[in-house]
Amino acid sequence: MISIKNLSKTFNKNIHAVQNVDLEIAEGEVVVIVGPSGSGKSTVLRCINRLEVPTEGSIAIDGVELTDPECDIDTIRAEVGMVFQQFNLFPHLTVMENICLAQRKVRGRSKSEANEMTMKQLLRVGIPDKADSYPRQLSGGQQQRVAIARSLAMEPKIMLFDEPTSALDPEMVKEVLDVMLELASEGMTMAVVTHEMGFAKAAGDRLVFMDEGMVVEIGPPSQVFESPKEQRTKDFFDKILY
Amino acid sequence: MSRHERSDKKSLSDKPKWWDTFPWWGIAIVAILSWMGYQILTKDSYDLAWDRVIPGISITITATLQAFAMALALGLLAGMGQLSKNVISRNLARTYVEFIRGIPILPLIFTVALVLLPQLQNALGFKLSFQMRATVTLAFIYGAYMAEIFRGGIQSIAIGQVEAGRSLGLSRRQTMNSIVLPQAMRAIIPPLGNDFIAILKDTSLLSVLGVLEVTQRARQFSASTFKFREGYFVLAFIYLILTLGLSLLLGVLERRMTRDDRNVRSGRGID
Repeated sequence: MISIKNLSKTFNKNIHAVQNVDLEIAEGEVVVIVGPSGSGKSTVLRCINRLEVPTEGSIAIDGVELTDPECDIDTIRAEVGMVFQQFNLFPHLTVMENICLAQRKVRGRSKSEANEMTMKQLLRVGIPDKADSYPRQLSGGQQQRVAIARSLAMEPKIMLFDEPTSALDPEMVKEVLDVMLELASEGMTMAVVTHEMGFAKAAGDRLVFMDEGMVVEIGPPSQVFESPKEQRTKDFFDKILY
Repeated sequence: MSRHERSDKKSLSDKPKWWDTFPWWGIAIVAILSWMGYQILTKDSYDLAWDRVIPGISITITATLQAFAMALALGLLAGMGQLSKNVISRNLARTYVEFIRGIPILPLIFTVALVLLPQLQNALGFKLSFQMRATVTLAFIYGAYMAEIFRGGIQSIAIGQVEAGRSLGLSRRQTMNSIVLPQAMRAIIPPLGNDFIAILKDTSLLSVLGVLEVTQRARQFSASTFKFREGYFVLAFIYLILTLGLSLLLGVLERRMTRDDRNVRSGRGID
């Protein structure tokens, strides 16, 4: 479903954030990307919906080439949900308005259709009572769940998660991960950058370990965790607590 | 040391005394205005000056409103232009802003109203009244100042807001209109209010072009009667009433906006 070939991203002509990454993500697959900070994992994710424009290589979603200047990026983005570390809810809109905005403007849904879909997604993430709240009235975990609901309301084919729990207080991590686990079990195609190894084990079909902009190792999570082939991977897992 | 000793006796959390927070300045302003008004009402020489100057007030107000409205449109255009992806509009906007900001208002008024606009009129074959030419000049100048306000306001919105909008499939324009501009307005409105008042005051510069607004009338009155004191006293009084009234009005508007958006304000840190 997502086909990344020879992807490289260079910032300011000399910072090689991502180098020659190849990655295929099949429909319904959950791919978890881990690695030390600065290893390029977020950059890979952001290239998938072209928030970063690749310096080299190609990315195709459902056969549509993203790096083709002719491609309609807005149409592709509507099919690719993205959840950010900092939530990025719209602070001037209520939860309901946050979730309805793109449904109305991009999907062209009527107000009642959009409202219905919004309530359905809020129910799914467990906070239907917060529809009329403003983002600042919610806890971090609730805000992130609204952000997930906002993406899901577009009925995307793929969901990208960019360190969705890294900005959360510890006691709120689980409520967000639970939503993601449920989503994974429903068969959503997901690419997740995270430090939550528990999630990787529970929901990941494949684990990608990145370092210094390159993919070091790919494999089933349990195998990469327990018997990594590469020394760099082993060093990384030895250093972190999980 | 003495500072420490004092704070020992008086806790920091002590409620400030009423006289410490009372708006004494308001009393002072009201007192000054009352005194001025009293002079104008009771003295015949001031009475005469008042009668001669006050007819200009409609021109002052009209020019202010027209110049503000035009400057607003120009400023939004040039402010967005500076942030445009298009290399031509970006550089056009930048040139306009830097050019205007680099020259004082008075020489600009002479140049634009007496040279640039007449030539433009001849070249394009339209005709503006003299007063309108002066007003357009003022708008042209303030448009450049406002462009910087709009640009700053738009740039103050975190990039994550744009990314969230775009990643949902919204176009650049939709993201700008539904997400960035509504939030930027909070940063934009207070400095725009300042410019509104500044325009009101700077309509006095139109007097150098002979527009019969209040300053020009005060100048004419003073020069022909040699009653400089009276003429300019009345003029100052009129400007004070206008600017204070306007800033009071803008204060109410601003308070209303911040009250509605208290959510937004404190939410900024999180989002």
